Amino acid sequence: MGGWEYYLIVLLVYLGTDLLAAWGLNLEFGVTGVANLAYIVTIAAGAYTYAICTLGPPAASGNFQQYVGGFYLPFPVAVLAGVLAGAVVGILIGLTGLKRLRQDYQAIAMLVVSLMAATVVMADTPFLNGNAGLGLIPAPFSDQDPEIQRWLYVGIVAVACVIGYVLLRRFTTGPIGRTLRAVRDDEYAAAAIGKDIVVLRLVVQAAGGALGGASGALLAAFIGGWSPGAWAYVETLALLTAVIVGGMGSDRGVSIGTFVIAILVLQGVQFLPQISFRIGLREDLGWIVLGTVTILFIWFRPQGILPERRPKYGGSS
Amino acid sequence: MSNAARPILEVVDLVKHYGGVRAVDGVSFSVDRGTITGLIGPNGAGKSTALNVIGGFLPPDGGRVLLDGDDVTGQPMHRLARRGLVRTFQMARVFGGLTAIENLLVAAPEQKGESARGIFEGKRFWRKQEGDAVERAREMLQAFGMEDKADEYARNLSGGQKRAVETMRALMTEPKLLLLDEPMAGLSPSLSRQLEDMFLKLTSDGLTLLLVEHSLDTVDRICSKVVVMAQGKILAEGRMTELRSRKEVQDAYVIG
Repeated sequence: MGGWEYYLIVLLVYLGTDLLAAWGLNLEFGVTGVANLAYIVTIAAGAYTYAICTLGPPAASGNFQQYVGGFYLPFPVAVLAGVLAGAVVGILIGLTGLKRLRQDYQAIAMLVVSLMAATVVMADTPFLNGNAGLGLIPAPFSDQDPEIQRWLYVGIVAVACVIGYVLLRRFTTGPIGRTLRAVRDDEYAAAAIGKDIVVLRLVVQAAGGALGGASGALLAAFIGGWSPGAWAYVETLALLTAVIVGGMGSDRGVSIGTFVIAILVLQGVQFLPQISFRIGLREDLGWIVLGTVTILFIWFRPQGILPERRPKYGGSS
Repeated sequence: MSNAARPILEVVDLVKHYGGVRAVDGVSFSVDRGTITGLIGPNGAGKSTALNVIGGFLPPDGGRVLLDGDDVTGQPMHRLARRGLVRTFQMARVFGGLTAIENLLVAAPEQKGESARGIFEGKRFWRKQEGDAVERAREMLQAFGMEDKADEYARNLSGGQKRAVETMRALMTEPKLLLLDEPMAGLSPSLSRQLEDMFLKLTSDGLTLLLVEHSLDTVDRICSKVVVMAQGKILAEGRMTELRSRKEVQDAYVIG
């Protein structure tokens, strides 16, 4: 397998898993208005859950890494467990924002949750192997030829994206999508016409978290490892940028935004020449571009590349 | 007493403080079924605060609110709304990112499309109900002379149009008792006369209205009973024509 072919596979898997995550965040933030800056924690929950489900007990590999659990579960079961873990963590994050917090305070509360979660995992080594993270996470089809295995995996991610998108659209279109957008625009007015804001928010947190969990599980299985460095809070900002650039609340727009940010910008900077006296500058440039793009879009095109569609009910007129 | 004869809303000794200010200071009144009751008084009298407490937007510091004889004191807005008590806001609050007609559609009661079954089964479960709601929303927009604004984003509407959208949205919930906070503010004189006629027709169909209103002419024309508030207390109660001549009302409120 050539290097380029391998790189293409990597990009496709990254794009697929980033899409799942960006859709989930868009459902929470773009559609429902919950600025969930702890979204990355649902992705981490999916990844770690997948890892401890598919790995055997720590003793089976000579205690070379420490973690709770270890169940030798098959791939589909472990992914579903990851999805479930993402949903549960999504609800727990959502609970922090229920106390009638204004949106900006809510965002800060959630950012703190994100930092706390990472700190706990890093500090408590017996829980999930701390700072070093988990390795040797099993991937499916490991008995196949590596090239076939990787392409099969791209297929699995593609199927997951199709399922994820179909489910997502059930929430973002039709009467429920309209109700969620109403909650986003004015939660008091929504309550005044009988909408139960708490229930709606928690349902959305569960659905968005499930997408995050799927993203994390599929990514961990592909990479074979997962550590706190992979889910710093800045990763949420990358997804947030994809949502803002693509078009808040627009599923198609956010899909485009994910491609632009996750692939064109964050992978594109890898092709810049390495600057010898400043290792890591390329990666930092990626973040600088991200921040700049966010500001420019908020200033000049707040509706994003492909804005939310205006539904037409006007009928005859 | 049977429920039908009983007032639809009874407010008993309601109290609401803001720090040391007694914005609502022991207010009691009732609203009869199928009538329009006006709540008037000078600025700062506590009318909007009273409405906010009755409508579940603010928790009370004392007193009781009875809806159809049931104690609903301090219940959250969405639960009151589902029981048929729906309110509008002093500053019109619309869903800016939704179109005018969507603002109405979102308020349709008990939508199948919002249920778990509606989400997983999809359109075939809710299409018919949604179609009926669209029909009703179009009729209402037409009655308010806003059918050409149906597909306009609510954030782009004028102040008066936003207020009209809010009133229509409240009506879409099929309420029993509607609390309206200055529904005529910002409306053209002709539209506000139309709205008065509409309110009278709605009450003859069984709706009950409690409205805070500054235009005393409007109150005079449509309210069968008027409650006058000043400094958090009830000053007088009766028909507008009688109240206009009362000394204490004139003192509190320079009647135009």
